[in-house]
This record gives sequence, structure tokens and C-alpha cells, in this order.
Amino acid sequence: MRDPRLKPFRLPALVFAGFLVVQATSAAALFALKLGGGATGVRTFYLGDAERFAPAKSLAGLLEVAVPHLVAIPLVLFAVAHVVAFARALPTRAARALAALAFGAALAGIAASFGVRYLGPGLAPAKVAAFALFEVTLLAWAALLVAVFLPARVDASAREEARARADTVAGAAERIAK
Amino acid sequence: MRWLVQPTAGARARPPVALFLVFAALALAGLAMQRIEAGGLSPGDVEAFYRGVEGGEPLSAAALWEEVHVGAFVYGFVLFMLASLAAVAPRLDGVRTALVAAAFAGTLADLFAPFVVAARPGLGALRVATFAAASAAMWALLATVAIAQARGGRVAGA
Repeated sequence: MRDPRLKPFRLPALVFAGFLVVQATSAAALFALKLGGGATGVRTFYLGDAERFAPAKSLAGLLEVAVPHLVAIPLVLFAVAHVVAFARALPTRAARALAALAFGAALAGIAASFGVRYLGPGLAPAKVAAFALFEVTLLAWAALLVAVFLPARVDASAREEARARADTVAGAAERIAK
Repeated sequence: MRWLVQPTAGARARPPVALFLVFAALALAGLAMQRIEAGGLSPGDVEAFYRGVEGGEPLSAAALWEEVHVGAFVYGFVLFMLASLAAVAPRLDGVRTALVAAAFAGTLADLFAPFVVAARPGLGALRVATFAAASAAMWALLATVAIAQARGGRVAGA
């Protein structure tokens, strides 16, 4: 942990990382259970299936899912990107790239739902790819929080730093004595 | 978080923090009311909800995961905010970690308890217990943060 002011935020950050993993896991489970996990399932889910008497998704149905996600996802990404940037867990460029990737994947995933329904079933693989990419970025944010705030790593780096400082002080004292 | 760690920004941050706490309390109260209305305090009603009434359809796996998905956002975000506020609140050194850890464990147990209730009969009481534990821990954390904020305001005003 580079900044000592971060220490009090260790527990909140780790709790947040835990909930990010729960979010990613539950989203993956829902994607697999409801949309089948692949492009064919996505097509069937949005366009319906006459053989199974499943109707195509209505605009109201699509909005019912899209609107809460348009609020929740940016809020979560904003919070986690803010904490990671504050902790300087990544170089600025890399943090910006990860944030852009996460926001882009989320937006593409939401837009692809409407795309599959109203533009064409050819967009189903794009929906799967966007979802997979978003999941990866979500887990990457959680991993970054853990990497920065995990107590074992923090304590080890603090010990290493203290040892280096002691070596320097001891060495300097020895040199002075000599 | 940046302004939370700057002591000079404390006074400016206090009004929005107080408003956030009011809304967090309302959200927790609403969640509790919703759960009580749906029979969340009776093991029999909980079991009927997840396993179906007398041979009826049990709740699907997708519905169970949907509950986890929504609950993780609500619990996760409120807990993250409360834990961050507790982190900068003075005079909470002895209880801060215990409160946040209890709230984290309680809410996770509450989120995943329905899978156990759905899998085995006679475990409706488990969800009642996890709901009570999660609510108690979240309310305790919220109250502690609110008191610390109020004290901080009084000290700054004096």
C-alpha cells in the first residue's frame, strides 16, 4: 500500500471487491440460465421461438432490464474506478483504458440486446462477446482492489520497506562508525 | 473517497453524508418491510415461497440468482458507503472492523440462504435467521456511523 491514508479503507475496499465477485457470478449464472450462454440462446431469448411458444421480447421488457442496468453499472464502475485510481493501483493510462473498456463493454452489452431484437439476429455473438468482456473487466477491478488492499500483501510490503530502511540506517551507522 | 480522507473537507461533506444516511435508512427499512410483507419472518412462509405450496412449483434457479443479483447491488453499495464512512469516523477503532465484518458475513449469508432453503425441506428458519442477522448488522453499522457523524458535527461546531 503506497499511501498510508488508504489503510483505513482496506476493509471497505475488500468488501466491495467481494460484492463485485458476487455480482459477476450472479450475472454469469443468469446469462447461462436465461439466455443459454451462447449466440443461439441469445437469438431465441430476444426473438422468441415458435416451437416453444416463446414470444419475442417486447420493448417494455427490454427497457425493464436496460434501465436499472443503465443506473447500476455506471454507479458501480464509477465507484470502483475511483477507488482504484485513488489507490494508484495502475498507471493512469492503464486505469483509463480499463475504465473505458468496462464502460464500453457494458454499453455494448445493453445496446446489443436492442440490436438483436430490432436490427438482426447477426448481433447475437456481439451480445455474448460484450457480456464476456464486461465480466472480465468486473473481475479485473475486483482483483485490483484485492491486490492493493489485501492485508497479507500490505503487511509484506510494509515489512520489506521497514527492512530496507533498517538496512540503510544500519549500513549508514556502520559506515559512520568505521 | 478522495474528499473523505481530507480533514478540511469534513464540514462540507457532512450535509450530503447525513442525507445519504437518511436514504440508506429508508432503503433498509423498505427492504425489511418488503421481506416482512412477503412472509419473511415465518419459516413456513419462507419455505412455501421458495419450495412452492403443497406440491406447487418451486422457485426457478434463475429467480434465485436474480434475487442474489439485485440484493448484491443494494447490500454491496450501501455497505461499501457505510464502511467507507466508518473508516474515517473518529473513535470507532474498537468496533469498526467487527461491525463491517458482521454486516458483510450477514448480508452474504442472507443472499445465498435461499439456495439452501430451496434445496432441502425444513430450512425456512435459516432465511429468517440470516435476514435478522443481516438487518441487525446493517442497522448497527448505520446507527454507529450516524452517531459518529453527529458527534463530529458537534465538535466542529463548538
